[in-house]
Amino acid sequence: MFKMIGAIFILAATTWAGFEYSKRLSIRPKQLQQFRNALETLEAEIMFGHTPLGEAARRISKQMAEPIASHFRLFEQNLLQEEITVKAAWEQSLKTIWKKTFLKQGEYEILLQFGENLGRHDRETEQKQIMLTLSHLTREEEGAREKQVKYEKMAKSFGILTGMLIVILLI
Amino acid sequence: MGIEVDVIFKIAGVGIIVAFLHTILDQVGKKEYAQWVTLFGFIYILFMVVSIVDGLFQKIRSVFLFQ
Repeated sequence: MFKMIGAIFILAATTWAGFEYSKRLSIRPKQLQQFRNALETLEAEIMFGHTPLGEAARRISKQMAEPIASHFRLFEQNLLQEEITVKAAWEQSLKTIWKKTFLKQGEYEILLQFGENLGRHDRETEQKQIMLTLSHLTREEEGAREKQVKYEKMAKSFGILTGMLIVILLI
Repeated sequence: MGIEVDVIFKIAGVGIIVAFLHTILDQVGKKEYAQWVTLFGFIYILFMVVSIVDGLFQKIRSVFLFQ
């Protein structure tokens, strides 16, 4: 009886771990895509809407899903402070939400680099910067998608099978 | 006799699951991990069988040598 309960616990734990890992794999490309959409919107706001940065950030935060929305909301709030550079504001909000995203260090660096050049140039250069960041993010997203296709199913069945193996070995 | 059947089922279970793991790892292109998993499964079962055969030899000795 106790053996059965223990077996179920072990099986549940490993299955959950497998599903969690596969969820992580599937969320990463989604969030990269959301970041890309946000930057595209920002570009449109800058190029066609001539919107100030804070205003644009607020609009984007309303359109996007979490946690990207909270990044732009924080960014806008940071911008409202006195004596803060755009770079610092961007970096602060990025740091705050980073734990909530499933992105990797490389993507963090790409976005930080984008923040460094934000709000320092005229519109054409700004557009070029956004294009550059977008191409970086697209590349990362492709890699993430490839990984997802390859490992998502494996992670799930791997969790269940490992649990079963442990149970059999311990019985 | 009951224990013997139990052991056979255990070996069968380990075999099935190791075979599944091998196939899955093979499909995603992790051939070397697949081989390690199979190897460890094999070694585990080998140890189990060795302990059973050891029991058999002990029994034979006790029957024929009157220890």
